[in-house]
Amino acid sequence: MSKTILVVDDSASVRQMVGMTLKQAGYSVVEASDGREALDKATSSPVDAVITDLNMPVMDGLTFIREYRATPSSNGVPIVFLTTESDAGIKAQAKEAGATGWMVKPFKTDQLLSVVRKVAGA
Amino acid sequence: MSMIDPAEVFRQEAADLIETLEQALLDLQQRPDDREIVGLAFRALHTLKGSGAMFGFTAVSDFIHEFETAFDRVRKGEATADRSLIAAALDARDHVSALIEDPDADPERGHAILAALKAAVEGGEIAGEAPVAETPLEMGEPLAEPAATSAWHIRFKLPADALTLGTNPLLLLDEMRDLGPCEVTAITEAVPALDRLEPEECHITWDVQLMAAVERDVIDDVFLFVRDDMVLSIEPLTAGEAISAHKAEAEAPAAASAGPDKAPASAAPAAPEATAQTVPAPAAPAASPVVKLVEAPAKAAPRTERNATLRVPAERLDELMDRVGELVIAQARLSQLAETLKDSALVNVAEEIERLTSSLRDTTMGTRMVPIGTLFGRFRRLVHDLSEELGKPIAFVPEGEDTELDKTVIEQLADPLVHLIRNAIDHGLERPEGRASAGKPETGTMRLSAQHRGAEVAITVSDDGRGLDAARIRARAEEAGLIAPGQQLSSDELNRMIFEPGFSTASEVTALSGRGVGMDVVKRTIDGLRGSIDVETQAGKGTTVTLRLPLTLAIIDGLLVQVGDSRYTIPLGAVEECVELDARTEADARGRSFLNLRGDLVPYLSLRDLFDVTGETGPHQKIVVVSAGSMRVGLVVDQIIGNNQTVIKQLSRLHSGIKTFSGATILGDGTVALILDVLNLVSTGQKREERGRMERLGRAA
Amino acid sequence: MSEIAKEKDMQALTIGLQDELIALEAVRVREILDPVPITAVPHAGEFVGGLINVRGNVVPLADLRVMFGMERAAMNGDTRIVVMEIDIDDEPVMVGVLAEKVRDVADIEAGSIEDAPKVGMRWPAEFVRGIGRRGEDFIIIPDLERIFAAGTEQAAA
Repeated sequence: MSKTILVVDDSASVRQMVGMTLKQAGYSVVEASDGREALDKATSSPVDAVITDLNMPVMDGLTFIREYRATPSSNGVPIVFLTTESDAGIKAQAKEAGATGWMVKPFKTDQLLSVVRKVAGA
Repeated sequence: MSMIDPAEVFRQEAADLIETLEQALLDLQQRPDDREIVGLAFRALHTLKGSGAMFGFTAVSDFIHEFETAFDRVRKGEATADRSLIAAALDARDHVSALIEDPDADPERGHAILAALKAAVEGGEIAGEAPVAETPLEMGEPLAEPAATSAWHIRFKLPADALTLGTNPLLLLDEMRDLGPCEVTAITEAVPALDRLEPEECHITWDVQLMAAVERDVIDDVFLFVRDDMVLSIEPLTAGEAISAHKAEAEAPAAASAGPDKAPASAAPAAPEATAQTVPAPAAPAASPVVKLVEAPAKAAPRTERNATLRVPAERLDELMDRVGELVIAQARLSQLAETLKDSALVNVAEEIERLTSSLRDTTMGTRMVPIGTLFGRFRRLVHDLSEELGKPIAFVPEGEDTELDKTVIEQLADPLVHLIRNAIDHGLERPEGRASAGKPETGTMRLSAQHRGAEVAITVSDDGRGLDAARIRARAEEAGLIAPGQQLSSDELNRMIFEPGFSTASEVTALSGRGVGMDVVKRTIDGLRGSIDVETQAGKGTTVTLRLPLTLAIIDGLLVQVGDSRYTIPLGAVEECVELDARTEADARGRSFLNLRGDLVPYLSLRDLFDVTGETGPHQKIVVVSAGSMRVGLVVDQIIGNNQTVIKQLSRLHSGIKTFSGATILGDGTVALILDVLNLVSTGQKREERGRMERLGRAA
Repeated sequence: MSEIAKEKDMQALTIGLQDELIALEAVRVREILDPVPITAVPHAGEFVGGLINVRGNVVPLADLRVMFGMERAAMNGDTRIVVMEIDIDDEPVMVGVLAEKVRDVADIEAGSIEDAPKVGMRWPAEFVRGIGRRGEDFIIIPDLERIFAAGTEQAAA
């Protein structure tokens, strides 16, 4: 059975691009456009990995990661966050919140796949 | 699978984000301290930057990066969103739009805008700060360092909470196996006794001998996400170590052969082993039973999204509407056939299909309905810019932004509304001094409202300016040859002159509205949308232009009537009631016919006369009372056939000159019926009657 | 116009109107229909005074006899409607053209096409692009663009 990846980004184009890439690589994809929606989805039905943007309306990515990690359903689920920030501060914050890995925007589809395989397996 | 062009998706999304940004900036001008609005603008910028870079719009993302940097100071409270900042930011927003269209768009202007932005946030000083060069990607960029060794010895221990936080050591091992053959040893010395074991923690140290001549960086990358918090050593493998590895292999036979991991080899911390254990390599990663601390069955999560929206190309909606239109016609034929054949089973099916078709029609039409607020938003900027440019302070008041209207109608409304607003601001609203001396507040009000009125939407553009100048309109209309000197006109007719081609009341041609295209464009567009325009004006108080538009262009409900041998459809939205043509009609002194409708005298027209139908009239003629603009008029028909759903087919260019019909439709039996344009029909009818009466009077004299 | 018409052979659908043979460019013809119910358009004038249903599309029906000043005989068993595409203001428009009779599809050789004589014709010369000849027969090649442009003005007036 294919692994389910939750893709969280307020940008529909990023969600679409990430979603399409993952689906073509055989993953199932669930999408959410903000942290609140992501939290609902990740806790109501288990996922195998999460890819999330940080800067989002309603609930930002850091809060989402923190709140998700506070639930048992996040146990063992890798969370990769997307960032455009080049400074290390945001990475430290996100890791502190419980992120597993990160990707710097912009990224290419093969980079995306290699990161997802890295944290979630094929 | 249909491929969507991601760049196209980005463009659409960018348009939305730019809109959000613009609205936020305009809001910010009103409430410079509203943190929420600042956050909104910043987020829009941020997403634009990120997605832009993602889809190769580097000029966009580079520019926004600078824009964002400047704006970040507002977010941090280091700068205030004053007028100069908003102005610069709006310019920057325009430049972003330009860059999306053309990455090479006017770099000079881009620099100037950024300088202005910087100046605005830094209170005048231009910062010499160089743009922060972003590293486009951080992973997998090999350094030019040659591989110094043909094998590596790697030893790592993950932080205790690594498993919980989603790092799977087996995947790390798999990744190394992808680089080359590995000897993996799990060192379990640190695993506590079972009674003290925290099963979710990771206690194992892994010792890996990687037989691959790869660069160190490549191995570093395996640990990219964890290396900051873990114990990790990566050393070139020495000959001695390699031998010891072989010894280890000998202790565990079959280790070097390919095969799936044995379950214990997964070394789940929950099953600690007293001694080091060799994990065979290479493993088939997909087949290896991955340690799952939480039993998370990988069942597909529900794919349906709450409140999900979907972008659909507009042409597809148009196509869908066409198909539904054809279906409606086919269904009408089926219903008619069923009625003729009087087969009850067939009638049942026909009724079922009629019900389904009707709901499909409504749903389809619903998909095309868009709140007009999407359009109104654009005008805030227009009003803002005009206000700045002309030095007239203006309060823009949009109302009824939730009012929904067919997408195609909304698109076509943009230009006419721009003209009306420009005209109102340019010519209607006075300068502050003028307003003050007229006893009005200095800030003018520009009201734009939309509301449903039956099957129509009324959109009003009103200003509280000086009102239309009847004398000047008359003079101009005479000068332009639109009316004869001294010609009698009602004030309504006179006001409508401003929509005639070649008319312009501006005695001074301003940069804004004196551009050769005038209000006649407004009229032409509204006519094309089967709408109407009313102008109300009060000297010194202001002008209100009301556009009335049908909700949709595709389908209307109609009342089918018979006149002579032909059938016509009257839009049901215009129909008020149907009455018998009987003794309740009376004639006034001038010979005009009226219908006495509960005390109200309603004029009526015979469609037979109007359409030059000859032959005997039926014995039971009916009057359909319709509302035409602000008046009620009766239309005399031979017979009322009933209601029908009407798919509107535009008349070809060959018939575009005929105003009495707004289109045609195909009836159940396949024949074509014309759709009456009530407003135009009534005015044509009145003119003909007038003419006829004049002739009669002439003859009598 | 006439030069272009004479440059190459023309494949034409010939129709009969009164005693004349009229050539319609075959490439523009979409289909030929038996008579269908015609909906009169009040105030539209006689040239395109009706509308017909062609596969769910509302198509104007033109009677070339009006523009040629011919007598308009009633429809009979031979009457057909030729559905074709005409450019009006450079935009293609589907129209039905009434034919008292559809004759055949013929090749009219370029060499046989002559300019319409300026005088001595029964029909307005500006509506005739050329006269083709086939055997003993003369075939009128109408200038449909001009005819329809003129007809539209008439209807709008």
